[in-house]
Amino acid sequence: MKRPERERAYRALSLARALDERMWRLARAGRAHFAVPCSGHEAIGAGYALAMRPGVDWLSPHYRDLAALLVLGMQPRDIMLHFFSRPSDPNAAGRQPYAHFGSRRLHVLSLQGPQPNHCSHGVGCAWGSKLLGDGSASVIAFGDGGAQKGEVHESMNIAAIHRLPVVFVIHRNGWTQSVNREREYATETLVARAAGYGMPGIAVDGGDVEAMYAAARAALKRARSGGGPTLIDAQCVRFLPNTSNDDDTRYRDRSRLESEFATRDPLVRARRLVSAKFAAAVDAENALAAQDAADWAEAQPLGDPRTVAQHAYA
Amino acid sequence: MRELSVIEAVREALAEEMARDPRVLLLGEDVATLGGVFRASEGLLERFGADRVIDMPMAELGIAGVAVGLAMRGMRPVAEIQFADFIHAAMDHLVGEAAKMRWRTAGDWTVPMVLRTAYGGGFRGGPYHSQSVEAFYAHAPGLKVVAPSTPADAKGLLVAAIRDPDPVLVLEHKRTYRAIRGPVPDGDVVVPIGVAAIARPGADITVLAYGMMLHESLAAANALAPEGIDVEVIDLRTLLPLDRATILRSLVKTRRLCVVHEDTLTMGLGAELCALAAEAGVLDVPPVRVTMPDLPGIPVDDVLEDAILPNRATIREALIRLAAATPAHAAHRRSYDAAIPQASSVIELALPEEHTRAALDAIVAACRAVPACNASFAWTGIVNHAEIVVDCDFGPQAPARGGGTITLVDYGPQGAELAVPFVRPGQTAAVRIGAVRNGRAYVACSVDHRAVDGADAGRFLAAFEAALGANRFAESVHAG
Repeated sequence: MKRPERERAYRALSLARALDERMWRLARAGRAHFAVPCSGHEAIGAGYALAMRPGVDWLSPHYRDLAALLVLGMQPRDIMLHFFSRPSDPNAAGRQPYAHFGSRRLHVLSLQGPQPNHCSHGVGCAWGSKLLGDGSASVIAFGDGGAQKGEVHESMNIAAIHRLPVVFVIHRNGWTQSVNREREYATETLVARAAGYGMPGIAVDGGDVEAMYAAARAALKRARSGGGPTLIDAQCVRFLPNTSNDDDTRYRDRSRLESEFATRDPLVRARRLVSAKFAAAVDAENALAAQDAADWAEAQPLGDPRTVAQHAYA
Repeated sequence: MRELSVIEAVREALAEEMARDPRVLLLGEDVATLGGVFRASEGLLERFGADRVIDMPMAELGIAGVAVGLAMRGMRPVAEIQFADFIHAAMDHLVGEAAKMRWRTAGDWTVPMVLRTAYGGGFRGGPYHSQSVEAFYAHAPGLKVVAPSTPADAKGLLVAAIRDPDPVLVLEHKRTYRAIRGPVPDGDVVVPIGVAAIARPGADITVLAYGMMLHESLAAANALAPEGIDVEVIDLRTLLPLDRATILRSLVKTRRLCVVHEDTLTMGLGAELCALAAEAGVLDVPPVRVTMPDLPGIPVDDVLEDAILPNRATIREALIRLAAATPAHAAHRRSYDAAIPQASSVIELALPEEHTRAALDAIVAACRAVPACNASFAWTGIVNHAEIVVDCDFGPQAPARGGGTITLVDYGPQGAELAVPFVRPGQTAAVRIGAVRNGRAYVACSVDHRAVDGADAGRFLAAFEAALGANRFAESVHAG
């Protein structure tokens, strides 16, 4: 990464963290329904989003992909409209709870509740790219819990058979809500699965935004040139509970997690990419931006009951 | 006009839409090289190439999910699930994703996809190649579900589905594919989704049907015409959204409803159609559903499959019953009400084979002796009748007509030796004389326990027996 890219990356990680922390506090204070923290995952999404061409390539997002959404052009106020479930939310118009991202304008496919059904949607979208011959590629992101579903198997198999322009990215944090890795899969990592589908696999440190960016760039280049899909296994840490409805002290030792923060937190690690002065200025700016976005979005009107039946059909 | 089979009409629709719109592509198991197991896409691989006619791995979930993604991206995928029995693996994408996408994104994303599948029994396919699945999917707002029955509709509805901006599930009854031939207009054929058709106009009864059952219903209706029963048969064509206007227009005219479907009874489409009619208050008599019974599957055994699927004979019987049904305002007088608490008493006595006249006289005498049994129960009080009017139920060929103050049930030698009669609503007692064996018979009396003490039933029978003896005595005196 060159300096402008490193600064862009840091800006995205910092803004995602600022928004994330504010949403967490607001949800815990009962001011909104639901928060899905992305803390620990930011470098993965920021890495591939920086390697994508906004408005050209397509993202089937993970629900901890706030950083990717910000890089692709989602504004903090749009995120907060989504968080507060307001009708003006461009993601879901107040119809889906937070972290069900989506925007046709930004080429982000709508994310659904049952994970990770968007895998096959992303494969279909990539198939459209191939048939239309427009040179666009797709990133499909999901968790290591989601990776255990038949959905992912069928999607990766179909993408490999037809050499579709896809990059599959597993956000591998080792937890599926309360269930740890040992009860989800019998291998240490998931990268070896790529070989089973006849596609290359890349194992990457998902806390390192530069490493993530490099892996995504290589995979996207391969996808765009007709080389077919790639699997990226991106290891990361989920620092917070699964959602604002979860109490992770019931199933894991938080003191160990907090001791890892200094070495494994993607934002802390990204500080070495920029000057201390830049980081401090950006962090301060983002804290204000997050507060402004939350205050503004919370003040927006709730939905009109007369509109609830709209858009069931064309 | 040309005649085509249903499968030829389907194939023609696919070919014409692919020629018209380069975004249309087919994907499914065996659809390309083989041309589909039912040959719906025969010749299309050669004509349109492997980019647009795609053999998919055996992955119904993936086929549906990829079709959702293709449609989100602006393509017009037409996916095929080979047998409807396999479709539930795709349900998450059809019901959970395709049906919700437009609504959950307020129109930002849409899923203009088509999923075709072959459903229905009657060809010895067994439990996994015969099912009707419509009720699961007609319960999914956001989805459209069509079920054509004729070649013209098979073509026109498929064309409409492909051009529709929302996801459409096309249910093709596999027995119609080759069994049903019919005229198909030349040129562009579009049958609007959401519009039913009157397949046979009539005045007396409305039949709602689709798929192969439409044809069985038409056969039953035609067979009843010479018997003076004029049946209107409506081809629903679209199951979601229902064409409520056409259905209700017909019911306002006929006021009698019969729903026919191959799917099982409970929570089947018939339940919704009966509710629709009931809520509109347009029926004079209770509706009738002719369906497969509530069984987990359709057996492959020829005899068993034929025994459980509706057909023109079972539909005909239902229609005869429906035509004979008394309008609801009079129906309570001849129906049974299982909710009436009853008390019964039985005696055994000597009785000749020919006893009807004597028994009627004995009932009249017993009613005089125990007037509580010749009464009507009402929540406002018990009404004792001054007159005694005996209503007779002499078996299925001569059932009680609903009049009278008390009912005599006597099926003669064809009946059971001992059976306890039901009290008819509006009456308080019923007497049943069993089949005479060796000069003796059981006589049972039931009373409405809200109005009459159980002991009165015994007293009534004692009076009946005494009167019978007196009558016989009188007859013998008369004869002497």
